[in-house]
Amino acid sequence: MLSDLMDSWIPVALSQDLPAATVMPVLAPAGPLALWRSRSGRATASADRCPHRGMRLSHGFVRGEALSCIYHGWSYSQAGTCLRIPAHPGLAPPETIRVATHPVAEAGGIIWVAVGEPAAEPPRLDGLVPLRSLTAEAELSTIEAAAGATAGPDGLVWQAPNAPAVRLLLVPQRAGETLIHVLVPDGCATSERIAASRAVESLRRTAEERQRKGSRHAA
Amino acid sequence: MPREAMIDEWYPVGLFSQLDQTGRRTALMGEPIDVALGADGKAKVTDGNGRALPVTVRYGHVWSSLGEPGKDLFAIPEADQPGRRLVDVGVVRVRCSPLRAVENFLDIAHFPFVHTDILGAEPHTEVQNYKVEIREDEDEVWATQVQFYQPQAAKSASGGITTEYMYRVPAPTCSILYKTCPPRPGEWDVITLFVQPLAEDLCDVWPWMALYDDETPMTDLIHFQQMIFLQDRSILENQIPALLPLDPGMEIPTRADQTSVAYRRWLKRHNYTYGAQLVAQ
Amino acid sequence: MKLYDYILSPSCYTVRLMAALTGVKLDIRPVDFHPGLEHRGPELMALNPGGSIPILEDGDLILTESSAMLVYLAARAAPEWLGSGAPEQAARLQQWLLFSHRLTANLGGARLHDMLLRPGDIDLLRTQGIAALRELEAGLFEQSQRGMRFLASDRPTVADIACFPYVALAPDGGVSLDPYPAIRLWSRAIRSLDGFIEMPGIHRLHELKPDPQPETGEA
Repeated sequence: MLSDLMDSWIPVALSQDLPAATVMPVLAPAGPLALWRSRSGRATASADRCPHRGMRLSHGFVRGEALSCIYHGWSYSQAGTCLRIPAHPGLAPPETIRVATHPVAEAGGIIWVAVGEPAAEPPRLDGLVPLRSLTAEAELSTIEAAAGATAGPDGLVWQAPNAPAVRLLLVPQRAGETLIHVLVPDGCATSERIAASRAVESLRRTAEERQRKGSRHAA
Repeated sequence: MPREAMIDEWYPVGLFSQLDQTGRRTALMGEPIDVALGADGKAKVTDGNGRALPVTVRYGHVWSSLGEPGKDLFAIPEADQPGRRLVDVGVVRVRCSPLRAVENFLDIAHFPFVHTDILGAEPHTEVQNYKVEIREDEDEVWATQVQFYQPQAAKSASGGITTEYMYRVPAPTCSILYKTCPPRPGEWDVITLFVQPLAEDLCDVWPWMALYDDETPMTDLIHFQQMIFLQDRSILENQIPALLPLDPGMEIPTRADQTSVAYRRWLKRHNYTYGAQLVAQ
Repeated sequence: MKLYDYILSPSCYTVRLMAALTGVKLDIRPVDFHPGLEHRGPELMALNPGGSIPILEDGDLILTESSAMLVYLAARAAPEWLGSGAPEQAARLQQWLLFSHRLTANLGGARLHDMLLRPGDIDLLRTQGIAALRELEAGLFEQSQRGMRFLASDRPTVADIACFPYVALAPDGGVSLDPYPAIRLWSRAIRSLDGFIEMPGIHRLHELKPDPQPETGEA
């Protein structure tokens, strides 16, 4: 499974969940990232740690085209260079002060972060639109078992009763936790979208129950 | 062993005013301890095996040690000055290294961002140069001639003022701040942070104050200080790594951070590493 | 109107916030909840034998439930915060107003335990808190599908103000807010309201204030 991650794209968030001038924490194989969108709309994935005193940058704030740390206001460009240190307004910050950034691609309402050097663009998920993201306390394999389906390179196709067929993009997080991006066919009515959301919540309950029972029986 | 060099220090373990004969269970550096009022009205501290530990009562708090303190608890002469209001602020638990808690207390560059419109405000973010030294005789870290513009420096301040500060670290998990006293120019208000290390990444913080302020009700004084500390707490719980790095490389200081640089150097010199990490680890 | 208040109490803050948003001037009477336990002392027990804060006093009227205080403030000063009165909207408002009491118990209880050393079954409180946050996340998602950005309506109501503080302070009790994108956006919308005031633990949104010195070196 890990080898699948080499030189690929990880879907970390939905575009709708990252409006302009906001930042949110996401997890990639490289580690925790601060995913942020500038005032002009450009998405950037920076390492989620300010090199000054180690504060999480995902707690920071976006002004213009820069991300600032909440602790002392140090601000960083989309390239990761430090632009300003408010305690020393006249100082041009040394180039050694920087945060690592990772390539980001945004397509079809999904934000992807590169792992390694992917040869191609992220997968196109034609005919599908994002619905919402949710997190399950269950392993990816447990979710597959609950859904009775296997996840392929374009996600997991699942048909719930009384709901449209959904596509789930499953992204392992920390041990025992999986991020689920839910996609539905383009053109679904509001009632169908809500039904899809509730169906996936049911699936999550089933998967988590399986996970809890499974871990109790584990050697 | 991270605890070794710090085992003989005094640490705060409770508020004297809240002690009763039933007592309370707490901890020091991973060891359970019990703090109670004896039948004689004196504070007593015992470890998990019932062994009596050293006790002293000072600055409103009960202090104890897992080892054998070689000297008395540090002195704060202002605590005995007549006319001072002595304020027990009350304990707050924080999931962070006790050393990170102290270092945050020594920092002023965060005022405009974390204590916005109280201790600092944009665009007044510049930190002017100040003086830092390790005073060899007392073996304490001192920062003096620190200045910062503050919209509401204290409950007793009626508007924005440029506040003068001095910082003092007399023990690895204690810090004392001396700041401009609006009602009595020429005197210093004293605000302290006494930190009880429960584990390397968990501490109980006991703030205490000795102020000149005849106007403000006690509860307001308590609330002001709790407000300031609570604003820092969500920072402290989100710093990575949890343990304070004592070697350069992981974190980059600037001139504004001189006090914290001196503090980290002083900790390393003494091998005060409970709550810290070194490069080799 | 006199509010018996503790600066660190989310329930007290909910009333202070409502007053700020609706332009009501409150006469604040600080209560030494911690470390002094003044809310259990003779003066305050005489006023509220329930032994809790906040307490709101307006002439002969003494209120001891924060939800009731929010409703009272809105009714007096800004009735638009009570919603349109249409049955479905009124029902949603009630639902989430009552839900906020569960947050006080679970997220609030976890916070009191972790921060102020109050007794509690912390694992249970966190488990219940996570369940509540998931309900809130699903509720906000479904509202968004109906074209509404807040719990009962497309504009904020007392229900949002009742729930907001405990949610925003969930991390104080060891419950992370990272996995809830809808809650993040809703929290941000509330913090961006005209007249919004913070409480300790809820930072100012610095991005709302333009940079005192514009960034250079932008991409």
